[in-house]
Amino acid sequence: MALNAKEPKGALKDKWRLYNEHKDLVNPANRKKIDVIVVGAGLSGGGASASLAELGYNVKTFFFQDSGRRSHSVAAQGGVNAAKNYQNDGDTIYKMFYDTIKGGDYRSRESNVYRMAQLSVDLIDHMTAQGVPFGREYSGYLSNRSFGGVLVSRTFYARGQTGQQLLMATYQAMMKQVKKGTLTQYNRHEILDFVLVDGKARGVIVRDLVTGKIERHSAHAVVLGTGGFGKIYYLSTLAMNSNVSATWRAHKKGAFFANPSWTQIHPTALPQAGDHQSKLTLMSESLRNDGRIWVPLKKDDDRLPNDIPSEDRDYYLERRYPAFGNLVPRDVASRAAKERMDAGHGVGKLKNAVYLDFRTAIGKLGVATIKERYGNLFTMYKKITGIDAYKEPMKISPAAHFSMGGLWVDYELGTTIPGLYAVGEANFADHGANRLGANSLLQASVDGNFVLPNTISNFLANEIRTGPIPTDTPEFDEVEKAVKDKLEKLLSIKGKTPVDRIHRALGKIMFKEVAMSRNEKGLIWAIKEIKKLRKQFWNDAAIYGEANGMNSELEKAGRLADYLEIAELMAKDALSRNESCGAHYREEFVSEDGEAKRNDKEFMYSAAWEWLGKPDWKLHKEHLEFHDIEVKTRSYK
Amino acid sequence: MKITLKIWRQDGPKSKGKLETFQLNEVEQDMSFLEMLDMLNESLAVKGERSVEFDHDCREGICGQCSLVINGQAHGPESHYTTCQTHMRSFKDGDTIFIEPFRAKAFPVIRDLKVNRDSFDTIIQAGGYISALTGNAPEANNIPIHHNISESAFDSAACIGCGACVATCKNSSAALFVSAKISHLAKLPQGQVERKERIEYMITAHDEEGFGSCTHTGACAMVCPQEVQLLDIARMNYEFNRALCKAT
Amino acid sequence: MAFIQGLFKTSVARKNIMAVTGLFTVFFLIIHLVGNLILIIPDSFFPIEFWSNVANQHDMYNAYSHFLVHFWPISVVAWILYIGLAIHVIDALLITVKNWKAHGEKYVKIDNSTSNWYSRNMGILGTIIGIFIVIHMGQFWLKYKVLGTEHDLYELVVGTFKQTWVLVLYLIGIISLGFHLAHGILSAHRSLGIYPKSIMNVMKYIGLCLAILMAVLYGIIPLIIYFQ
Repeated sequence: MALNAKEPKGALKDKWRLYNEHKDLVNPANRKKIDVIVVGAGLSGGGASASLAELGYNVKTFFFQDSGRRSHSVAAQGGVNAAKNYQNDGDTIYKMFYDTIKGGDYRSRESNVYRMAQLSVDLIDHMTAQGVPFGREYSGYLSNRSFGGVLVSRTFYARGQTGQQLLMATYQAMMKQVKKGTLTQYNRHEILDFVLVDGKARGVIVRDLVTGKIERHSAHAVVLGTGGFGKIYYLSTLAMNSNVSATWRAHKKGAFFANPSWTQIHPTALPQAGDHQSKLTLMSESLRNDGRIWVPLKKDDDRLPNDIPSEDRDYYLERRYPAFGNLVPRDVASRAAKERMDAGHGVGKLKNAVYLDFRTAIGKLGVATIKERYGNLFTMYKKITGIDAYKEPMKISPAAHFSMGGLWVDYELGTTIPGLYAVGEANFADHGANRLGANSLLQASVDGNFVLPNTISNFLANEIRTGPIPTDTPEFDEVEKAVKDKLEKLLSIKGKTPVDRIHRALGKIMFKEVAMSRNEKGLIWAIKEIKKLRKQFWNDAAIYGEANGMNSELEKAGRLADYLEIAELMAKDALSRNESCGAHYREEFVSEDGEAKRNDKEFMYSAAWEWLGKPDWKLHKEHLEFHDIEVKTRSYK
Repeated sequence: MKITLKIWRQDGPKSKGKLETFQLNEVEQDMSFLEMLDMLNESLAVKGERSVEFDHDCREGICGQCSLVINGQAHGPESHYTTCQTHMRSFKDGDTIFIEPFRAKAFPVIRDLKVNRDSFDTIIQAGGYISALTGNAPEANNIPIHHNISESAFDSAACIGCGACVATCKNSSAALFVSAKISHLAKLPQGQVERKERIEYMITAHDEEGFGSCTHTGACAMVCPQEVQLLDIARMNYEFNRALCKAT
Repeated sequence: MAFIQGLFKTSVARKNIMAVTGLFTVFFLIIHLVGNLILIIPDSFFPIEFWSNVANQHDMYNAYSHFLVHFWPISVVAWILYIGLAIHVIDALLITVKNWKAHGEKYVKIDNSTSNWYSRNMGILGTIIGIFIVIHMGQFWLKYKVLGTEHDLYELVVGTFKQTWVLVLYLIGIISLGFHLAHGILSAHRSLGIYPKSIMNVMKYIGLCLAILMAVLYGIIPLIIYFQ
């Protein structure tokens, strides 16, 4: 099967307009006859649900949380980018497109990225109208801040809780539709599999997490807004229940999975404190505006940070990247931290952190200014670590954060299964090999609110005569049986190793070899270890309780089973790409000064993997062409 | 640290619950409270026993999914923390910790420590939104909003909908939750058009869902992780009375 | 209209009613206090010249009470007060019952450090005050105004307050009133929707000061008479 990105013809800036002018539409009267299932209620899934319901489709939204407002979009702190040029600093849609492509190390699709930049402008209008209290100047006009990897201020923010505020707006829009009756929400429901009828995505099998009941739901199209899978590393900035299961099971039904190994490791998270740790809390990237990152010059220096004089400190980012200093993009900052820690300069009990020091900034600006800018982050730091960061430097450490990879989608956000769409972080589309700060809220919101509701009509226009999809068909029977069998199988293991322990072990393998820095030997080792672990899981996982009732261990086990499969694909994907690009850093492919070295000749493509069963995959390549941007070496020196 | 846990166990909404005692001997100070519960659940899993069900997700204090009343206090001993931000350093070696679910008629227990907070969704559905359809919005900077008004709206909008206010209220009133949304939207110019209907519908929904009425003890604001202010409740009452006057 | 009726059933409207009737009673309490402070004016202040026939405390107090009983607008206000208090009580019962229903199972362990005990126990304080009011009215209002069996109110008051059990009862009633007001005045303003921060920050102290002042002044009257 050849990949068809379905990019509209025409100049880059006209593509979206041309697409809309020529696509098929569904008559308002016919929309009520069409059901759409949306999975996930975050910015992408929730946005899609609300917008589709507004249009008049029958929307059913499924999510595992108790309310849509809990979706993990809520945790995004820093902001959302938009090319409004309110600051008059020369920002344009093209500049934003350029920054995003460059930030992604020339591994994303031009047309998708340009569309995201175009729609960013509308998104700010939309969110403001919904009541998002964005930060404002004393004049009453919207304020902006600057983020890593760009030279303009285009980030809109609502203190350190931008994601929460955008999600509230989206959630409220959803709730409005629930009241109107166009949207039905199924909270505490988890997608277990997809039903294809004549090759089209026509339904889902879900488990009610409260009663354990397996349910069938049908629709004319299915939209996945299920987020990323950074939780595969166990220690990550993601929510505990974030998972890959929906996208992975869609993959196993025929949707190609693109660039799975590209995971952004965020440089400023709180370090692990011990083996018991379950989560690494993110500290916003904005802290790097005023904080200076350093490690002791001497190895294993056990002095307290404030006792180490300046000459014994190594401000390694400022040393290595004089132009961008502490504000280099995330992948670069994370890697540099790892390099120092591996060299024995890490700090903290487990030697797994670096210092983020505000002493200089406090000296220059005063505590009050720092408090005003980052007060909530300092409070959060204190809550978690018990340390007052106004007095001593924060300890930070890289942590798995964002999945640039995801289901392969075309310009319409359709996967390789007709009728199955992926929006937001669940797809692979816009960020290439590295995502820029404040682009994730943007992509999720734009996909959900503006892109998908427009593109899906092109597919649904052919469904107006289909009629309701019955669920009492052999196709549904078959998938439901498979789902039940799998649950039974999990419960019949009755082993001795707790699920979380296996997940931690998987996370360790992945973070060691399939994270910030990769090499052939390590990846081959990782694949072997993953297979071993998978075997251990299926032989010895301790999963008890019942399938017909609430059972959070069973939920976790189901998700881990999928992680254990995609882990292998991630390693395989990393192994197949013999170059370094963005977050994908292969130690064999570096420039003389230790920076990532791309191989545009052989690897200017997105790797879309097709599932062949019993973990095996076939690689399909979507070759990337850049007509509107000059491909250069990405340098922040 | 050695910790004795007295945890509420209840099979379902209709069954009777009781406290069950557990002993943990290797708790570390650096552990978060929920990691301590993870530890307990791992030990139960190994023994093949049913795990203790509790709600949690982001574990960084923003999603609002974690609940728990710890030693009689919603979200634990530290004020303005969520349960997931509570760490074991707030407890001492040898402590006995009581863990109970959020309790209110409107928050029925699903199992053990998990409660059903759908009633919050219902309240928002009643009117906690601005009806701006996608694609209809005017240019964002067309309506300047004073910095302080915008910040004040944010203070209210920061509510994470965890329900600690209800759990801690002796009347099980959701006044703080409702008022946070009312105030957020009433303060902004965008929220003016639906202001009257919003307060009427949301208060009605609040009462119909079975929450009690506010007697201003102020306990809710003391536990609120986002420090939503009691003044928001006064603001909500103002909005209500304003709507009343406009109706007549 | 149905809509407005509906609104009055809401929790917020009911609290409004509590607030209005409560605040009206506070207004009465202030007036009531001012009149009764005559009872603690020292003898050395008399005769007071501007009021021709006031030669001593005894006369002044009786003149004051005579005025209250025979000036008709006062009676109107009094009836508003009685009805208001009745509504205050009935409304309180309705709210309390609803709030009990709203509560699920009781917590096994409860930590109440997040609120004041008197904020949580307005119902109990109110009940004590209610009992006190009934006895208080039975002692004076009933005998002096309704039955007319007593004509010298001053003698009646002083005589009554010389009894120890009365003193104890009054102190309990008045302290309860103080705590009831310490929460009630501020709470009523919140219920009525006064939200500007500047006003409410001041209100917090005004409410508290007023409560303390009332408790102290009301309390001092029976104490002084008892020990005189």
